[in-house]
Amino acid sequence: MSHLPPPNILLVGGFLAAIASVGASQALVALIEGEGPRVAPLLTGVPSAARVRAFESDLEESSWLARRLRPWAQSLRFSLLREMGDDVVPGRDGWLFYRPSVRYLVEPWPGHRDGLEGSIVSAIAAFRDDLAARGVRMLLVLAPNKASIYPDRLSRRADAVAAVVHDGTLSVIARLRALGIEVVDLFSVFETARRRAEPVDGGRGIAAELYYLGQDSHWSPPGVRLAAAAVARRLLDLGWVERGEAEYALKESRVQRTGDLLRMVRVESIEQSFEPEAFQALQVVDAVTAVPYRDDPGSTVLVIGDSFLRIYSQEDPGAGGLVAHMARELRLPLSSLVSDGGGATLIRQTLSRKPTLLAGRSVVVWEFAERDIRFAMEGWPVVRLR
Amino acid sequence: MTAIRTERGLQGIAVALTAAAAVIGVSCRRQPAAPSAAGADSKVTELGSIEVTARLVEIPEGAIFKREMYDYATVLKYQVLEVHRGDVSEETIYIGHYNPFKPRSEAADRRVEGIGGNLEVFRAGQMHRMALEVPIDDYFMGGIVNKYFGRFEGPIYWAVWTDEAGE
Repeated sequence: MSHLPPPNILLVGGFLAAIASVGASQALVALIEGEGPRVAPLLTGVPSAARVRAFESDLEESSWLARRLRPWAQSLRFSLLREMGDDVVPGRDGWLFYRPSVRYLVEPWPGHRDGLEGSIVSAIAAFRDDLAARGVRMLLVLAPNKASIYPDRLSRRADAVAAVVHDGTLSVIARLRALGIEVVDLFSVFETARRRAEPVDGGRGIAAELYYLGQDSHWSPPGVRLAAAAVARRLLDLGWVERGEAEYALKESRVQRTGDLLRMVRVESIEQSFEPEAFQALQVVDAVTAVPYRDDPGSTVLVIGDSFLRIYSQEDPGAGGLVAHMARELRLPLSSLVSDGGGATLIRQTLSRKPTLLAGRSVVVWEFAERDIRFAMEGWPVVRLR
Repeated sequence: MTAIRTERGLQGIAVALTAAAAVIGVSCRRQPAAPSAAGADSKVTELGSIEVTARLVEIPEGAIFKREMYDYATVLKYQVLEVHRGDVSEETIYIGHYNPFKPRSEAADRRVEGIGGNLEVFRAGQMHRMALEVPIDDYFMGGIVNKYFGRFEGPIYWAVWTDEAGE
């Protein structure tokens, strides 16, 4: 029998001690806190893949040692490698990007792309048809990923590019249009705006007005206004909505915001190494009373979507989001329904569950984030309206 | 010969470890409390229009996940054990919990106020004593992750207060 040399024993012993310390520390903490061991639920039920995955996820999140070590490890990785965790990709000039959006843009699509596209198109067409059966028209709005509009802030390789649209996005839009579904092309709107805007850095393509926030995954106040104007214009051009008579004015409001991407890192030391973004937002207010814009629940136009509707509306400064600016363009108060991160499917399920939300509507404007084409929460099932 | 002996040794260790873990797991399993008494605090008996003790039947894969960017509610399936207040006729009900990856004492925020409880972590098989409202859409407008969508006809309840009542 051969003996292991001492360095190898040390390495093996250290490795075993390291992996054992996680379980041992957790067991100790559980004993001190009077809890049963975390493994108990796994052993006292019928074993299944779902049960094991849930157990693993529970362990990852609840591990006492991991929760204490994670911030230090992340801080070290950020200092040495500029890595910001699983969800955030650091770009150039202090800009941050949401990893799923970057993956959407740069990764090849999985082999089942045709099936995925088919599901999306079927789900959207079924929703359009169900709305049409109720006499409601549907206008689709894809909120572009930040990486699609600012690829040059992600990598210097995209320096000369004003916007880049994944061919999967283009393909889905083309298939929807072939079925007669109206889609607002915000990609062209933002690309054109970026090209027209005066460059401030010697022609590198960075405009005086930025249409997305640096530390956030969402659009900036100028981006919201640009999108709102494009959507409202399409509604008017289609003749689906007539301009109303409401009088709205704009009121400047200073906003200081720690972006959602920075908050996602969940490490205080990393968060503190960035200054919160400060910018001017424009609130929509009543032209006479100066009261901030409020939705009209009885409006004939219902706007549904995700956090691209929420930003500046349910968050500071309020009355400054996409819906408020659309209302100003249309001179018509609108109604809205927001499902954070659930613009693709959860919002349709809400309407299916509560069809009274569609009573009295003639138009539904449906917004969802571009990345949902591939990464929608709950996928793209057909959801029938009852 | 040595290899066979080592394999047997490893098998023995694996069996011993599994048996030990099973014994620990079973012995540390909490004894079920009598439903009518367990988990009754002043909040759960006062809040909401309905109060039940129910067993969490399962946690579907992907129903509870940590989500830093947005808030959501998830629908979980319960077997009703006792109705303390209100009218619940079904044996199985579906209840929406707000941000279920958080301990109930930390779940309330600026957007959803007034919810809570002493439950730390959701686990299948637990008994919960809950103060509820119904339907969920009257109390929470936001993302609702519902892995049972289209698989039941009844209403979705909204969990106002959730206390642990044993396993």
